[in-house]
Amino acid sequence: MTQLDNRATEVVAVAGRQPRKPPVRRGRNKGRMGLIMVAPAVLHIGLWTAIPVLATLALSFTDYDIFDLPAWIGIENYVEIFSDPVFRQATWNTLVYTFWTVPASMAIAMIIAVALNQNLKLRTWFRTAFFLPQVTATVAIAMVWLWIYNPQQGLLNAALSIVGIPGQAWLADPAWSLPAVILVGAWQGIGIKMLIYIAALQNVDESLYEAASVDGASTIRKFFAITVPMLKPATFFVLIISIIGAFQVFDQIYVLTDGGPANATTMMTYEVYRSAFQNFEMGMASAQSVVLFVLLLAMTLIGRRVTKGDDE
Amino acid sequence: MTANDLLTARDAAPDGPASGATAPPASPSTRARRKKWKGRLVLNIALSIGALTMILPFVWMVLTSLKSPAELAEFPPTFLPKVWEWSNYPEALRAAPFALYFRNSFIISASHTIITLVFASMAGYALARINFKGREFIFLGFVAMLMIPTYTKIVPQFLLVKFMPLFGGNDILGQGGFGWLNSWWALIIPGGLSATAIFLFRQFYLSLPRELEEAARLDGLGDFRIYAQIYTPLIKPALATVALLTFQESWNNFLWPLLVTTRDDLRVIQVGLAVFQQLDGTAWQYLMAGTTMATVPMVLLFLFCQKYFIQGFTNAGIK
Repeated sequence: MTQLDNRATEVVAVAGRQPRKPPVRRGRNKGRMGLIMVAPAVLHIGLWTAIPVLATLALSFTDYDIFDLPAWIGIENYVEIFSDPVFRQATWNTLVYTFWTVPASMAIAMIIAVALNQNLKLRTWFRTAFFLPQVTATVAIAMVWLWIYNPQQGLLNAALSIVGIPGQAWLADPAWSLPAVILVGAWQGIGIKMLIYIAALQNVDESLYEAASVDGASTIRKFFAITVPMLKPATFFVLIISIIGAFQVFDQIYVLTDGGPANATTMMTYEVYRSAFQNFEMGMASAQSVVLFVLLLAMTLIGRRVTKGDDE
Repeated sequence: MTANDLLTARDAAPDGPASGATAPPASPSTRARRKKWKGRLVLNIALSIGALTMILPFVWMVLTSLKSPAELAEFPPTFLPKVWEWSNYPEALRAAPFALYFRNSFIISASHTIITLVFASMAGYALARINFKGREFIFLGFVAMLMIPTYTKIVPQFLLVKFMPLFGGNDILGQGGFGWLNSWWALIIPGGLSATAIFLFRQFYLSLPRELEEAARLDGLGDFRIYAQIYTPLIKPALATVALLTFQESWNNFLWPLLVTTRDDLRVIQVGLAVFQQLDGTAWQYLMAGTTMATVPMVLLFLFCQKYFIQGFTNAGIK
């Protein structure tokens, strides 16, 4: 597990560095069977992932409505994107959403993981509870939250009325709708972050804590001086997968707000969806998804610098 | 597989360092123990509140699905139903064809799982253990594909489906018809394999010892039989892990089925729920009954196969 974990982390992190050389074999047919065995996967990933990525890039320089042939228009789509206030809003919303569901949620997840790393009797139960939303469909979860946020009969307003706080039309109010969507995303995503931290904590050497205790270090001191630095590789891994996840938020927007009210909760993905499948502007949608990808890549590199900074 | 054991090892272990350290019953240590006990109580309470927050929406979903419309209209809402309306479930099944959606989701998820187990494991094995020309290049290609977000490929994927030659009334150039739109092909083929699954399988095969292969080769087995008869039976836990992750992702997928199908008889459960909510948004008892039906299979699968899920998520992480 330890080995597997490290390897997965490392390879995803440093895309493509070979962890271990597979055995070299000099056979009669020089591993022709290998090529045959990998061929279906290569064809599938090639057709449904590699070609589409390249096609997205190419289409982003065209005006294309599916019915007529694509027309080359150079960087016009990109020019339009950068002057489009809705897409700017969507980009900002995506960044705000990412901030709360990634670094903020990661801090909470790390604390929960450390708490669960104690020998508590109910440990397994807690872990199951925190992880449960992760395995259930986002659409189903969003449906439940839609009901919880319901202004007339919703659970949230009922709970608030007990303590005398007036209820809100959470999803219809431009000020509250984005926080409401973020809460659902954070609630659903905390489990996976916690889980990876729990796995990483198994590898932290107990003797470090014992040594620190002998030196009289407080629990908080030990957390910041030992736990946080030792979890750095895991933090990097969690950060990358969480950013990728957060940038692709779509299902809960579709169910909860449809991007509204007044674009308060629209996301980059939602704009791609609207351009492509509501307005049939395939070129524009492609350009928007290229911008999404580039921003995602930039965030990943920044994340890499922040979490790996002083290692290099 | 030792991989699972590590995660569960701590659950089984008795209160190790805590109880061991307090052996000599001197007075400072009793105080320390009491302090520790207090801290533990606070920790348990805090975690319980957290865990309840995670569970409550699910409980609320089930409770809502068992209330009458009149009761749902009340404010403040009742917590437990006054009358447990079990008939909501058969009525929900009549209000929308949830049983059909359920079946469709199952067919698609099962197909994706089978395709992934066969082809991703084959590819993963070849990349891990067979030395062939171009292997490094292909592996790097797969790794590059790991990071590609759905939205960077969704438009051309849709176009590929729409213009699939010789299907759905299309001519050889893919013109004139609907291609794979509104067909099982579109629902099953494009999502059948993922670079993540191939990558995971490669890792699992790499972790096995090489001696087995040498012994098998002395017995005259070829590459394919070594893969199928020697190595693959050894990674059964990994097969379970990848199978569960694939099934789960496929069952929960929403965007792709939403894009490629409009026919009611091809709808999957997640899209069916969203459509039902748009058409009949006020029938919360039926909607929550449908949501419960969409959620329960994954929850049960997770509860019974937790260790495989956990292993998979900690290794792959990518949802």
